[in-house]
Amino acid sequence: MGFASRSVSIMRYRVKGEIEGSFWEAVEAGVKGGAFREVQTSGDEVGMGWASIDDFTDGQFSGASYLRGNYVAMSLRIDTVRVPPRILEIQLKKESRKKLEESGQRRLSSAQRRELKENLKESLRRQVFPSIQIYDLIWDTARAVIYFGSHAVKARERMEAHFKKCFGLTLVPLLPYIRGEELLEGKTEGHLLEKLKPCVMAP
Amino acid sequence: MDFLDILREKAFLGREFLTWLWFKSDRTGGRIEIPGKKVVEVLFLDRMTLDLSDVDTPQTVTLKGEHSELREGLAALKEGKKIEEARISVRAGDNDFTMMLKGTWFSFGSFRTPPILPTGEAEAEEDVEGSFLEKTYLIEEGMEIVDELFEYFLKVRISDDWEASELPSLRRWISTASD
Repeated sequence: MGFASRSVSIMRYRVKGEIEGSFWEAVEAGVKGGAFREVQTSGDEVGMGWASIDDFTDGQFSGASYLRGNYVAMSLRIDTVRVPPRILEIQLKKESRKKLEESGQRRLSSAQRRELKENLKESLRRQVFPSIQIYDLIWDTARAVIYFGSHAVKARERMEAHFKKCFGLTLVPLLPYIRGEELLEGKTEGHLLEKLKPCVMAP
Repeated sequence: MDFLDILREKAFLGREFLTWLWFKSDRTGGRIEIPGKKVVEVLFLDRMTLDLSDVDTPQTVTLKGEHSELREGLAALKEGKKIEEARISVRAGDNDFTMMLKGTWFSFGSFRTPPILPTGEAEAEEDVEGSFLEKTYLIEEGMEIVDELFEYFLKVRISDDWEASELPSLRRWISTASD
């Protein structure tokens, strides 16, 4: 669910690293350079990149539409296509039989079978609707914090890698210990945090 | 210390925070006074997961339901489990936030802010930006309250008072409340 909805899941990240040159120019280049586009791969992913937080079909960001005050707001869109395994199995059996009849062979070699499977997968992929996943992201540039709208490991990893690629900045999840270090920064007793060990709370 | 070491070795901090937060909230009817700062109302709602993940084979128990069902969590605390995630509400001033706070990742599931004022039918560009900013400020306000509670916990946790008085009180609470 996106940030505009009533209920939202949020992971917090600290943005680490420096942008050389003009910050806002680098942001513009990173957003537009990493905007959603379709890709041709043999994998399940057929498209990926930033899209407008208000309209996932818009990857143009005309007029710096990602900019809201000090915030950069956008979505990460990931399109995947997955051929249902049983459909692939049915087609593979059918095509194998046909091929054996045509060639008079008793069985297909593993190379033939692999090639047939890849070709079938490729043609079936064109008949399947993609699954479109949208994850909202808000970058508070004043505080160097990112709010990401998902806890899912796969989505997070995809976003962290794409963000690094587009902006050259690293995202560090604000785990309790990392946030704790920040909250106690500059306090005399702050160094004690590092030495803490789990305690037994049970009586 | 690198990230994976922190994730592995320091995850207890979030679980101890949630467990301590329940103790503080339960003893005071939900009113937690952060010294020198503010009073925050913290209520544990209808869902809680506890685990024994400081050991090699984690044992997890999930409780759903209202107040009386959550009391079963006390029995789990008695067995040495700590809270890994809980649905809580926090309120400071007029604004009320509910969330599923997760201990290990310190992340927020099903985070609900107070509703923002509806924009007009026209959805002018400035209205869209206005709604966005209002919502984002509310999200940040809710997280700030949680951060303040967490900072309060950390200060107690690293102080001498932890062993001297806070931990013994917490253990007494588990012991008496679960009877």
